[in-house]
Amino acid sequence: MSEIKPILSALTRSKTGAILLVMQIAITLALVSNAMSIVADRAEKINQTTGYDEQGIISYTLLTYDKDTDIPKQFKEDIRQLKALDGVIDALAVSSIPLSRSGGSRTLSTDPEEHSGKTADSGYIRANHHVIGALGLTINEGRDFAQSDVIYGRDGDYPSVGIVSRAVADKLFGKGNGLNETVYSGDDAFKIIGIIDTLKSQWPRSKMGNSLIFLPIEEALTYQKFIVKTTPQKRAQVIKQIEPLLLDLDRGRVVMNIKGLDTSKADTYAGDTLMIRMLIAIVVFLVIITALGIFGLTHFNISKRTKQIGTRRALGARKSTIFKYFLLENLLVTALGVVIGGVGALVLGRELMGHYSVPPLETSAVLITAMMMLLMSFIAVYSPARRAANISPSVATRSI
Amino acid sequence: MLQMQDIGKLYQTEMVQTQALREFNLTVNEGEFIAVTGPSGSGKTTFLNIAGLLEPFSSGQYMLDGVDVGKLNDNQRSDLRNQKIGFIFQGFNLIPDLNLFENIEVPLRYRGIKTAERKRRVEQCLEQVGLAGRARHLPQQLSGGQQQRVAIARALAGEPRFLLADEPTGNLDSLMAKQVMTLLEELNRAGTTIVMVTHDQELARRTPRNIQIVDGQVADFTLYQGVQGTRENTQVPLGV
Repeated sequence: MSEIKPILSALTRSKTGAILLVMQIAITLALVSNAMSIVADRAEKINQTTGYDEQGIISYTLLTYDKDTDIPKQFKEDIRQLKALDGVIDALAVSSIPLSRSGGSRTLSTDPEEHSGKTADSGYIRANHHVIGALGLTINEGRDFAQSDVIYGRDGDYPSVGIVSRAVADKLFGKGNGLNETVYSGDDAFKIIGIIDTLKSQWPRSKMGNSLIFLPIEEALTYQKFIVKTTPQKRAQVIKQIEPLLLDLDRGRVVMNIKGLDTSKADTYAGDTLMIRMLIAIVVFLVIITALGIFGLTHFNISKRTKQIGTRRALGARKSTIFKYFLLENLLVTALGVVIGGVGALVLGRELMGHYSVPPLETSAVLITAMMMLLMSFIAVYSPARRAANISPSVATRSI
Repeated sequence: MLQMQDIGKLYQTEMVQTQALREFNLTVNEGEFIAVTGPSGSGKTTFLNIAGLLEPFSSGQYMLDGVDVGKLNDNQRSDLRNQKIGFIFQGFNLIPDLNLFENIEVPLRYRGIKTAERKRRVEQCLEQVGLAGRARHLPQQLSGGQQQRVAIARALAGEPRFLLADEPTGNLDSLMAKQVMTLLEELNRAGTTIVMVTHDQELARRTPRNIQIVDGQVADFTLYQGVQGTRENTQVPLGV
C-alpha cells in the first residue's frame, strides 16, 4: 500500500486517460444500477402471483353470426360437450378474461351517493357461480357464490351479492374490513359475501391491478368470452380440440383467441419483457465496453511504460510488486469512478422517478452494482498486469 | 566483490543462436573503478545485464559479494539488485510522472524503508549531487546533465556496494559529461566500487583499470589496441 502516494502523484500528472476511464466507469455505474433496478422491478411485477391457475385455464371468444341460433341453448350444449373432453374440469361464459387488458370497470362506493362515500375503481367479471373455482381462486374470507345467487341474462335483476378482491375491500372499508358490507355502483348495490386476498384484474400493470369484483350474472351474447378449466397436463391437447368441437356443433359462428391464461399474461407483460431484454442487452454492452476500456488503457499504459517497468524491476521491484502496482492503480481509478458513479446513479434515479414510472433506486442496488464494477475491473486488469509483471528488467538497458 | 568465471550467454531464437558471452572471466575488487569498453555488438550490454542481475546467464559461475547468483530465484535476484547494486543508465531512465524526490525514493520503497528515513536519504543524495531544493521538480524540467545527476542520486540512495553505469555520459555534452565523470570519481574515492560501460576512450582512460570485451570475451586493453576493425559476435544457424 506504500505505492498509493506515488501512484496518485503519477495519475494527477498524467490524467487524461485516467479521467476518461473514471468518467466511463461512473457513467456505466449510474446507468447500470438504474437499469438493473428497473429490470428487478419489472421482473418482480411479472413474477407476482395472480391468484389464478394460469397453467390450467384456456380462454376463447365466440362470435355467433347466425341469427337463427338460440344462443343460450347452444352455449349450454357447448359447455356440456366441452366438459365431456378428456382433461376438462369446468367451462363457463365470462364477461371478460383476467389479465387480458380487456374488460369493464366500475366506480364503487360505500354510499348510494357516490361522492358522499369512499370510492374505488375496479374491474369486474360477470359469470355464473362456477367462476371462482374455474379460475382456481381461493376465497380467504366469506363464501363462494351459490347457484341461487346467479342472475341469468343482462335484462334481469342486478345481483344482490358479489365477491371482491382484498384491495377493493380495504380501499372502501379499511384494512381487514368489508365482509357483509354493501357496495354501491350507480343505481345498483350488492353485499360483499367473499373476499379474495390474491387477485389481479384484467389490467395487472395499472393502478387497478389488484382491484376486481365478481358478479354472479350469466350471460349469453353474440360476442361472448369463455374460460375452460383443464388439468395442466391436458391443456395443450384441449386447446387443439376446442375450435373443431364448437364448429361441429354449430357452423354459424367464429371461434377466436383460443389461448392459455399464461399466454394472455405474457402478452400483457410483453412490453415489460421487451424492456427487460433491452436493458439487459444495454447493461451487458456497457459493461463489456467499460471492461474493454480498462483492458485497453492498461495495455496502452504498459506499452507506453515498458522501459519504466523495466527500470523499476532493475531498481529492485519484484514481479509481484509490478503486478500489485497496476492492480492498485486500476483500483484507485475504478474506486473514484464508482464513487462519482454512485452519486450520479442516485441523482439519475431521482430524476427518472420524477419523470417516468420507475421505482425509487435502492442504495443496495448501487452498492451491488459498484461491487460488480470493481470485480469486472479486476478481471479486466488482471491479464495486462500479469504481462507488465513479466517485463524483463533488462529492458532498462535497451535503447528503445 | 564481483567474480565471473567462465560465464556464457546464449541467445536463442527460432532461426539463430547468438553466443553473446563465452568463457567470460572477470574479477572486480572492492573499491575499484573499472571502465568496460569494446566495439558495438561485442557483448558489453550483455555483460552489464548479467553483472546487474538483469538477466540470467547460460553457463559459468557468478559470485556477487559472496552470493552465488546462479542459485537465486527471481525474487531473490530482485532483492539482491535492490540492496547491493546501483544503476546509472545512458538514458537516465527517470520516471517522467514522478518528481525528483519520488524518483529517488523508488528503490527505497521497494526495500520497505520507513518514510522518515527515506526522506533523510533522498535529501542527502540530492545534496550530494548538487540538486538540493529541486526535489519537487519533474525530470523534464531539468537539463540532461541534471537528470543524470538525479539518476546517480537514485543509484546512491540505496547505499549500494557497487554502481553499474551504462554509458553514463552517452547522452550528455562534453561539459556535462566531465561533471558527471567527476562526480563518479568522487564517489569512487569515497569507497564505492564502480563498473562503467562506455564507448568513450577518453573517459575510459580516466579510470584506473580498463577492460575490453571483444567477441564476448575479456581482452587486455593493450591487446585490444592491436586489433584492427570490429568483429561481430559469432552467429550460428540452428542445427549447425
